Amino acid sequence: MTSTAGGVPDEPSSPLRKIAWHWRHDEKRELWIGWWTLVVFYNLYGLLFFVIARTQPPPQPTLAPSEIAQWFDDRRHGLIYGYAIVFIVGGATAIMNATLAYTMRRMSVSRAFAYSYLVIYALATLPGMLIMGVVCTVGAMRPDRDPELMSWLYDFAFLSFEGTMGVFLIGSLVWMVAVLLDRNRVFPRWFAYLNLCNALTEVVVAPAWIFKDGAFAWDGTIAWWINMGVFVTYTTAFLTLLRRMILREDFGTGPLPELARDEAQEPSGSLEAAR
Amino acid sequence: MTSVAGTPSSTSDRTQAARFVPGQPDMWAFVLFEALVFTAYFTVYVFNRARSPDLFLESQTHLDLRVGVFNTLVLLASSWFVARCVQAAREGSFRAATTNAFLTMLFGFVFLVSKVREWAAEIEQGFTFTSDEFFSFYYFLTAIHFLHLLIGFGVLAIAVHQLRSPARRSQETIETCATYWHTIDFLWVMIFALLYVMR
Repeated sequence: MTSTAGGVPDEPSSPLRKIAWHWRHDEKRELWIGWWTLVVFYNLYGLLFFVIARTQPPPQPTLAPSEIAQWFDDRRHGLIYGYAIVFIVGGATAIMNATLAYTMRRMSVSRAFAYSYLVIYALATLPGMLIMGVVCTVGAMRPDRDPELMSWLYDFAFLSFEGTMGVFLIGSLVWMVAVLLDRNRVFPRWFAYLNLCNALTEVVVAPAWIFKDGAFAWDGTIAWWINMGVFVTYTTAFLTLLRRMILREDFGTGPLPELARDEAQEPSGSLEAAR
Repeated sequence: MTSVAGTPSSTSDRTQAARFVPGQPDMWAFVLFEALVFTAYFTVYVFNRARSPDLFLESQTHLDLRVGVFNTLVLLASSWFVARCVQAAREGSFRAATTNAFLTMLFGFVFLVSKVREWAAEIEQGFTFTSDEFFSFYYFLTAIHFLHLLIGFGVLAIAVHQLRSPARRSQETIETCATYWHTIDFLWVMIFALLYVMR
């Protein structure tokens, strides 16, 4: 292995050594760790909620108390172990939120945007997963309780999770305004408008507090399925744009440089290349 | 963004408009995405209507078609004024453009008041968000459109802010704002057809 003039050895070819090299020498190391945390977290989040705990897609709000007690019993182990992992990985949201707030700190806008985003998304962790996790775990670990109480837990879990999208709405709007005002071209403007679309679909889940069946209930076509489609599109978009932003990052304060076409397709000189 | 402060009808802006679409292409991505989301809402409405046609038809008779037509005409007029605003800005007539932007706002405001009065009248008759499935969709679709309209006033305020100072004027931004306003109009025409006209 040869060394460059700056004392940094050339990037090795074997995958493990490559990771070690990037760990030691990549100046974007922290950003890539943040990005990978986001990717792993969202995949894990989907796996835990949809496959292991089986709380998503949400069940019917109209179940009778005895059916609700059965619902908890049917997925007892999934709820306990699934949400145990959720509680363990919940701390990753600190790294994720910091990485997303970093994008706003790199913009030419006031720091208030990044701080507002951090605060609102720190709060969003509660209705976004922790309350539901705690309540479902309580239900799963106390199967001998009165079905009426289980019914109350069931409503609390799903209404706190599905019906409290306001914090995400404000977060999306903060990001939207930051992108529109930014002169450093950190994100394209269409992403600002996509934030608005996402914010507007967060509004339509509010009727889930009123309706127990139909399109507006917490498992409804409009309140859940369409909303989820928009959310997945939005999340995919910001993960892709964030990766691109890290590739473009020059640690300066002015506009971010654009990527050459081949650089965007085959990134090198970063942890990303170790993939 | 092709910001051409002070020279809204400059060659670069005209070239951009000729080569792509009016305003920022990014706003057209928004239009496309919103059209997809609303298409999904409309599909759910039509599907639910097909399952209970009698209930939907009966409830629909409680809507005043004349108010719906009035709202549609008012919003179409507002769209016409915003188009005139863009045209005037392209020609460098910024005073006329500003007047047309204010007229757009005025007609948007008339729509807003008319919609609130219509809601109040329906509620007075006992038809609320939870009365039946048709009225749930009626309030949902008109309210989400109303929210878009409220954002539209902010968007028009940006256009007026741009037009009032030569240092800020950007034809592209003005056209982007107009594109948003036309989207509100386009969505309303679809909502009007589904809620008031379709039998």
